Amino acid sequence: MRLLTHNMLSSNIKGVSNGFPLRIEVEKVLEKQVDFNADFLRNMFPKIEWKAFVDAARTIGYAELPEEVDNSSILTSEEFLNKFHHALLELHLEEGALVCPETGRRFPVNKGIPNMLLHEDEV
Amino acid sequence: MTTTTTATCSYLHTCQPPTIQRLRTCQTRHRFLPRTCAPVTRRLKLVVVAAAAETTRTMKAAEDGVLLKKGIAEFYDESSGVWEDIWGDHMHHGFYDPDSTVDVSGHRAAQIRMIDEALRFAGLSEDPTKRPKSVVDVGCGIGGSSRYIASKFGAKCQGITLSPVQAQRANALAAAQGLSDKASFQVADALEQPFPDGQFDLVWSMESGEHMPDKAKFVNELARVAAPGGTIIIVTWCHRDLAPTEESLQPWEKELLNKICDSFYLPAWCSTAEYVKLLQSLSLQDIKAEDWSQHVAPFWPAVIRSALTWKGLTSLLRSGWKTIKGALAMPLMIEGFKKDLIKFAIITCRKPEYVYTGSKMHLHE
Repeated sequence: MRLLTHNMLSSNIKGVSNGFPLRIEVEKVLEKQVDFNADFLRNMFPKIEWKAFVDAARTIGYAELPEEVDNSSILTSEEFLNKFHHALLELHLEEGALVCPETGRRFPVNKGIPNMLLHEDEV
Repeated sequence: MTTTTTATCSYLHTCQPPTIQRLRTCQTRHRFLPRTCAPVTRRLKLVVVAAAAETTRTMKAAEDGVLLKKGIAEFYDESSGVWEDIWGDHMHHGFYDPDSTVDVSGHRAAQIRMIDEALRFAGLSEDPTKRPKSVVDVGCGIGGSSRYIASKFGAKCQGITLSPVQAQRANALAAAQGLSDKASFQVADALEQPFPDGQFDLVWSMESGEHMPDKAKFVNELARVAAPGGTIIIVTWCHRDLAPTEESLQPWEKELLNKICDSFYLPAWCSTAEYVKLLQSLSLQDIKAEDWSQHVAPFWPAVIRSALTWKGLTSLLRSGWKTIKGALAMPLMIEGFKKDLIKFAIITCRKPEYVYTGSKMHLHE
């Protein structure tokens, strides 16, 4: 599961008012190379919840992202785009869990796939 | 406050939880799941009994829901490999010109054409400024649609499926095709999509609506995760629209559908008109629906022919009972199409840019 995916997932357990972002429990992280595509990154950038993204990256072990990006001119910086690309697309949580921030319920991640199915009593 | 309306008919409808104060008149339209009616003899006693029955019914419905989801997951866990082996990575109908005969090699092209025709119907392919950037594939199978759309629009696609085997395979295929940055798949329930509101420019449901036991909830979730101004595309099997005088399908029609439901892990069917009504009730705009049954007619006979080849038969025999049962139901699908009972429908709409709540207009960013 890439951080791009993590940035779009939330917990919809009954009664939870804000299920985003999910905390990450790390057991195994892999780095997989992905071709760099600046246009794709620029398209994705406005859709990213930045703080959640930076925190998630740090949890996974990558602390090189800037805390704040207040200027869209940053999207022309090659250095920034490379870091953004790496954290967004090349870091994979292979084994671990995503944790609902309000209830603590763990959604397991196995072989890189999060299982977001809710139990009957959570619906 | 107690309101008692004298029932104008002698039936107490248990489609809603009955209350002590209220008896309903015979105006409830039974929606997607069959309910039973019971004659009223002693009002109070019956209401209490009905309340208990409703709880049992709710619990049973919940149990049925769990069993259905499990059945769906297992069906696809078991059969995805067989399908992919013979048909490739698109687990949906091909789109054909009416009355055409297609050879084996044409089917994959037809499946891709189905995606393109659906996008075109929704008004998405012509205008380059309207290209979706984020897409959700609801009931994604092994991700054929997602990868194609991601590739076509350079968009980010998320796919959800109940089947862990499918999610695995979908991710593997994305990686193999160099699309793993653009298409990713997870195990999740379409009735409880694990996404915050308003995430996706395009909400895509290609032949998955048939599996949803609660159509209202399904459509609600599609609308919820759609971004303001986003497009929703539903391609699905429905039964024919009911005539204004009809309360329900004919008994022989229900019987045929039930047999199909059993084999393909489908809950009760609804009509295209019912989908349109649901979308209207959510104030979605530009709702369009069309019957594409004539465009998919060559598909099932082709699937049957493929199953009867040596490769098809041996694959089926190796796969498992669920897959075989599904295969045996294929002639029923043909019968249903031929008798104008089963319709292959496309329904599209747009989520409004503006939301009018109370006295204020909210402009969505």
